[in-house]
Amino acid sequence: MEYLKPLPKLNADTKPFWDGCSDHELRFQKCTECGHVRWPPSIICPLCYSNKTEWIRASGKGKVFSFVVYHKAYHPAFEADLPYVVAIVELEEGPHFLTNIVGCDPGAVSCEMPVDVIWEDVTEEFSLPKFRPAE
Amino acid sequence: MERAGNEAIFGHSGATAGYALAARRAMHTFHTGPETWKHIAVGQRKWANLNPSAMMHGRTMSFEDYYGSDWLVEPFRLFDNCLITDGGRACVVTTVERARDLRHPPAVIMGLGQHNPSYDIQQALHMAGPTGAKIAGQTAFEMSGITLDDVDACEIYDCFTYTVEITLQDYGFFKPGEGEDWFRDGRIEPGGSMPVNTSGGQLSEAYFMGLTPLTEAVMQIMGRCGKRQLGPETNTKRPEIILCNDNGGILQTHSCYILRRL
Repeated sequence: MEYLKPLPKLNADTKPFWDGCSDHELRFQKCTECGHVRWPPSIICPLCYSNKTEWIRASGKGKVFSFVVYHKAYHPAFEADLPYVVAIVELEEGPHFLTNIVGCDPGAVSCEMPVDVIWEDVTEEFSLPKFRPAE
Repeated sequence: MERAGNEAIFGHSGATAGYALAARRAMHTFHTGPETWKHIAVGQRKWANLNPSAMMHGRTMSFEDYYGSDWLVEPFRLFDNCLITDGGRACVVTTVERARDLRHPPAVIMGLGQHNPSYDIQQALHMAGPTGAKIAGQTAFEMSGITLDDVDACEIYDCFTYTVEITLQDYGFFKPGEGEDWFRDGRIEPGGSMPVNTSGGQLSEAYFMGLTPLTEAVMQIMGRCGKRQLGPETNTKRPEIILCNDNGGILQTHSCYILRRL
């Protein structure tokens, strides 16, 4: 079945992240000067402005920093998912990542709730990292 | 969207959802939510009902109407959202010297302040405050040489109900989580002790971005507001000083300014 939702648009900064997702690995840039782990990808560290960077693999564990429940689809491809949860997940390594919480009733989601990454292979090229309540 | 790279992919779009994320974090961080926001939506609607130019002039709103409005992006209902408006506003700026000779009494700028936390919502740590309002407000009050006690009314950028709460909270009108008590009993409504968004604001008059609060403050100081005029007409104080602001992005930019009668 054709996948009708928006897909990632890759550029030189974001490609390593989405390549990692294809391997079901959550990878983030870590500043080798100050240690800050950042998202979204960028050529310099937003805290210390160093361009010295390595990619690290994140554990995939985090907690819900904030979340909302969509009751209206602003893109027709999301209509069938209503009501669905968009959340900012605070990963163990630090970055805040905007994603979906799946695998539970929207009413069961709360701030600070522990969550784990779950992979959704949406096309041959892309896997999306979503999160579900931690087991 | 491409900058952060993952918003549209996960079905995230628009200002309503961005501010709803901020509002949800505030619900977790301090006691707030629809019980507080209903006072803002309903209070501003009462001002709009006195304003023939307001899009919602002829439509009243009760607490039941507020709770009965549809969820858009929870925790926001339709009535937590501002309007969408086609139209225009203008304001003439000149020197005090020239303004003294004009037909209408002018509003004078006492002080200004800006503060821009800038981080987008995904990375923001300020969504439950302090937002840019805190430092922008302190700067404007310092320049004006006044305190909150000198303020007679507020015209606050109100893209959503929560925006009004966090802005007034960061200015220091009440402590985090005390908004519900502060807004209760019609404090911001006609006849209230601290009128807020006296045209109906962007929630109930019209969405002209920063010009909605600006033009209303100027018109109130000029005394040109008809039935909604602050003063004996609305059982409020004739305003000497009005506190105003503008806000942009998802609580990313903030300008505070204070106007007074000449």
